[in-house]
Formats: sequence, C-alpha cells, structure tokens
Amino acid sequence: MALCGLAITGFTVSVMCDVITRMAKSPWLWLQEVTMTFFIYGVFFGTAAATRRNDHLYLAALAESMSGRKRMLFEIFNRLVVLGVALSMIWFGYLNFLDGFRSLRMPSMTPLASLYAAIPMCGVLVALFVIEQLVNGCKNGFAEPAATAKTP
Amino acid sequence: MTGNGFLIFLMAFLFLFLGYLGVPVAFALIAGVLVVTSFTPISLPSIMTQLFNGMDVEALLAVPFFLLVGELMTAANVTARMIKLSQALIGHVRGGLAQVVTVFSMFFAGISGSSAADVAVLSRSLGPDMQREGYDMAFTAALIASASTMANLIPPSIMAVVYGATGNVSIGGLFLGGVVPGLLVGIGLMIYSHFFGPIGVMRTRSSLGEVTDAMKGAVVPLVIPIIIMGGILSGFFTPTEAGVVAVAYILFVAIPLLNRGYLKQLPHDMATTGLLYSIPLITIAAASAFGWMLAYLRGPAVVSGWISSAAGNDPFMIMLLLVALFIIVGDFIDAIPAIIIFMPIIADLTKNADINPVHMGVVIIVTLAFGLITPPYGIALLMASKFIGVRFGKAMFASFPIYIVFLATIVFCIYFPNVVLWLPKHFLPESVGCFKNPSAAGYICP
Repeated sequence: MALCGLAITGFTVSVMCDVITRMAKSPWLWLQEVTMTFFIYGVFFGTAAATRRNDHLYLAALAESMSGRKRMLFEIFNRLVVLGVALSMIWFGYLNFLDGFRSLRMPSMTPLASLYAAIPMCGVLVALFVIEQLVNGCKNGFAEPAATAKTP
Repeated sequence: MTGNGFLIFLMAFLFLFLGYLGVPVAFALIAGVLVVTSFTPISLPSIMTQLFNGMDVEALLAVPFFLLVGELMTAANVTARMIKLSQALIGHVRGGLAQVVTVFSMFFAGISGSSAADVAVLSRSLGPDMQREGYDMAFTAALIASASTMANLIPPSIMAVVYGATGNVSIGGLFLGGVVPGLLVGIGLMIYSHFFGPIGVMRTRSSLGEVTDAMKGAVVPLVIPIIIMGGILSGFFTPTEAGVVAVAYILFVAIPLLNRGYLKQLPHDMATTGLLYSIPLITIAAASAFGWMLAYLRGPAVVSGWISSAAGNDPFMIMLLLVALFIIVGDFIDAIPAIIIFMPIIADLTKNADINPVHMGVVIIVTLAFGLITPPYGIALLMASKFIGVRFGKAMFASFPIYIVFLATIVFCIYFPNVVLWLPKHFLPESVGCFKNPSAAGYICP
C-alpha cells in the first residue's frame, strides 16, 4: 500500500514538474520516462496489494454463495489459478526482462528491461500473497472479496 | 469450427468460466490467453510484452488522476456543498430529493470520471434522507445507480480516456461528444422521477439569496470542470495534464479553503487511490493481451464480417448491431475490458462504414454506461443496492422503466450524429476530422 502511495505521489509530482517546466519553456524530456516508471511500477505493485486484500475486479464470486467443503474447494481452485498466472508472470516475465536489455528507452538510453522487471516482481508478490491466503484460508476459512466495485 | 474459431471459443470460455467462478478478471483474462498461446507458435514471454504494452500508453495516465480527483473531493467531504446547491436549485419540485440526486450527479460527473465514486457519495449522503422521506428503497437504488452512469458520459470520463487511448480517437472529442448524451440521460431521469417517481416531501422554493449562498459555497469545487475542459479545449493541457492540474487545484486551493483538517488523512488516501487505480489498469493490460491474441486469431475480422454482411455499409444499421452486441457483452463483462477486447472490431467497422470515430465512440460509451445498470453484471446497480440495503432483484425491477431513458438516448445518439458532434465540431474541430480552410478562416468539416 505504501509503495502504491509512493508511486502515485511520484508520478503526480513528475507530471506537475513536466507541466511547469514546459510552461517555463525549458522542458525536461526525461520527466516523461520518470512518470511512466512510477506509473508502471505503481500498477504492478498495486495489483499485488489488491490480490492480498481481495480487492480486484470480479465478474462474480460463485464461491461466496456456497459454504463448507464445497466453498473451500472453489476458493482453493480460484487461488491456484491465480498462483499459476503469478508463476507464469515470474518465469515468462523474467525471460521478457532479459529480452528487454536489447531495447532502449529514449532519451535516457536506459534498457527497457528496467520497466519489464515490474512484471516478474509483481508475479513474486502475487504468488507470496496467494500462498499466504491459501495457508490462512485452509486454517481459518477464506475471507469474502472486499468489493466488486473498483470500476468506472 | 476452424482451428482459430476453436481457440477463440476456448479463450473466451476460460475467461468467462474462471471469471464467474470468482477468479479476478485480470487473472482470468491472462489465464485464458496463456492457455491459448501454448497452442500457437507465439512465444509465451511475448504475452508479457503485450501486458506491458497495454498500459504503456501516456493517455492512460489520466485514469489515476481523474480517480484521484473524485477520491479527494469525496474524502474531503466537499461534495456536501454541491448537494446543498442541487437542493437549492431543484429541491422544491415534485420528487425533490430524486431530482437532487440527478442534478448532483451531473455536477459530480464534471469532477469525477467514476460511477463508483458517485454511487458511494449519493448512497451515503442522500440515500438515508430519501428513505426518511418515504422513497421506495428499490427506486432509490435504481435512481442512484442510473444517475451515477452520467460520470461516464459527462467529461471527464474514464471510459472515454480508455476508449480514446486504445482506439486512437481524440479524448477531448469524446469528452465533448459525451455532453449531449449525458444531459439527455439526466433530463430523462428528471422527467421520469417527476411523472412516475414518488412525490416525496414538498419543500418551499429556495429564495434567490439561498441559491446565491449555495452557489458561493459550491464555487470552489465547480471550478474543477472548468480547469479540466478549459485546459483541454484551449490546447494548453493534454487530458493527463488537465487531470494533474485539477489534483493540484484540489490539494493547494480547495482542501485548504474548505476542509483543512483533511490534510492529515491525505497520505492514507493517496495510498488507497494508488491501489484503486491499479485495479482497472491491470485489467486494461490483461484485456489488451486478450484483444491482441483475438486479433492474431482473426476474431475481429470474422465478427466484423458477420456484422458487415448483415448490415452492409449502412452506418446506422452497423451501429445498431454493435449496440446490440455491446448490450449483451456489457451484461457479462466490465466496460473497460469490453472496450479493449472489442476495439479491433469497432475500429474495423468504423473505417469500413465511414463512421466518425468520435460518434462511434460516444455511442459505444453510452451503451456501456447502460450496461452498468443491467443484470447480471450491472456493477453500479449492484453497488447501489448494497449501500441502500435492498435486494438486487428488487432494485433491478425498479430500474426497468429507466432502461427506456437509456435506450432512447442511444437511439438518439445513433440517428443524430450532428447533435452529438456539435460541441466537438465547434470547440475541437480537428477531433472530428475537420481541417483548417487553406483559403479562408475557419474549418472544413467532412
């Protein structure tokens, strides 16, 4: 959560600086790279935090209407799917990260891998949080999704 | 079924199956794409690039800013002043509080691009008063949900930002194009509440002095739409920059003037908004990977072929068929993934039938806004019924007559493009394909 706050504060400040430097007729072109870095990392860290808080966007939570053993099975299955996606994000994201060293961001010439790294990092965090939920859920039962309403 | 057809079916089935089982939308989309990719020659790491490309769009930066504007205004409790103004303006007519809900939503839509914020504010602030005055709970939930959809029509609208960013359509043009349907929905809701809604408690008309006082109180928040639209229309700011200037205005002017005590809570709300914006954006990233795979499997070409063969080159018929498609799609999936997944189809049909992209965008956005109150995935109605404390089925039944307002607005938007495009043509002519007259002043519009 703190990282999400840091990211949104970071890109709010960098876009503000972008507007101010442009109005002062001496724009800092690298600010756009800084902005996108905060933005992309913010999205991926936020995704991990939302997974931990069950705050994601859901179509429906069929499991919510169930109880007992049946619900437990559904909840475990749902989290295993998320875990599978998270593991894919780690491995394929890592391969993509390595590939990112062949492309550069303009104008700083930083490898694109510096942004691609956000995907496997997000995968690691999501996987950890899902494992935490699975362990806690098997011990104490699963919490309901907090909201289905984070939508425009 | 061809190989590609089967893969498209499998991908869609996996998404819907996992989604309705309770897997978060973003992960259900990615799971569907990853499974299908393994049956194609495409490398799995390249799907990660598609995830990344889906959000590496400068225009999407506007999404967190417009969410932040809504959150800050709500959390700082500045909205109470706008409710007071709405009450002073319209609280005396039949169904006074119902009319206030609609008028407030119009004002609030000019500040926040999110229906969710609107539903939360209205349900908490006006919901209890409406119940006290004897309004039916189901009617209250239906009206609040319907009014909140205006946040997606009246600028700034997050749906318009996403549509413009992914479809390469002018966001400023979409903002302006959304004003007419937004007002039509608002007026329609007011007429419905007046003639068919509960009478409520009749109040005396506010005096001119009371209206002036209420206006003075609300002037600080009501400057925000002027900053946003003024900056964009003057060409001074992009939508993203207009969003950040609005945030700066709230932080440095509105909150210190109206609720200085709130500043202590600011770091917490920034962190919350940081989390909130990531939820639609990871869904956008996942949906763009899904849409990319769909395009690789030639899904858009097949669907646009079906629509073209049924409608020929008649733009109105194409739009009607697309509206029908989106009403069905909007019943099952959220508006943002729907826009991104179906964008290749929309772009194809818009080009083939020579429809103005802003006109098409406005029609699609109004249709998706309507999807926010239709079952089973009417998210605004789900939220409103939860906040008001009425069963979803009852709220849905109460919202059926209101569907007429939305359907009439959609049909109007389809058949009267000149009315929809009037504002963009006058204030942002280039957004609708007009170009400068080389031999005289003004613009030439197709």
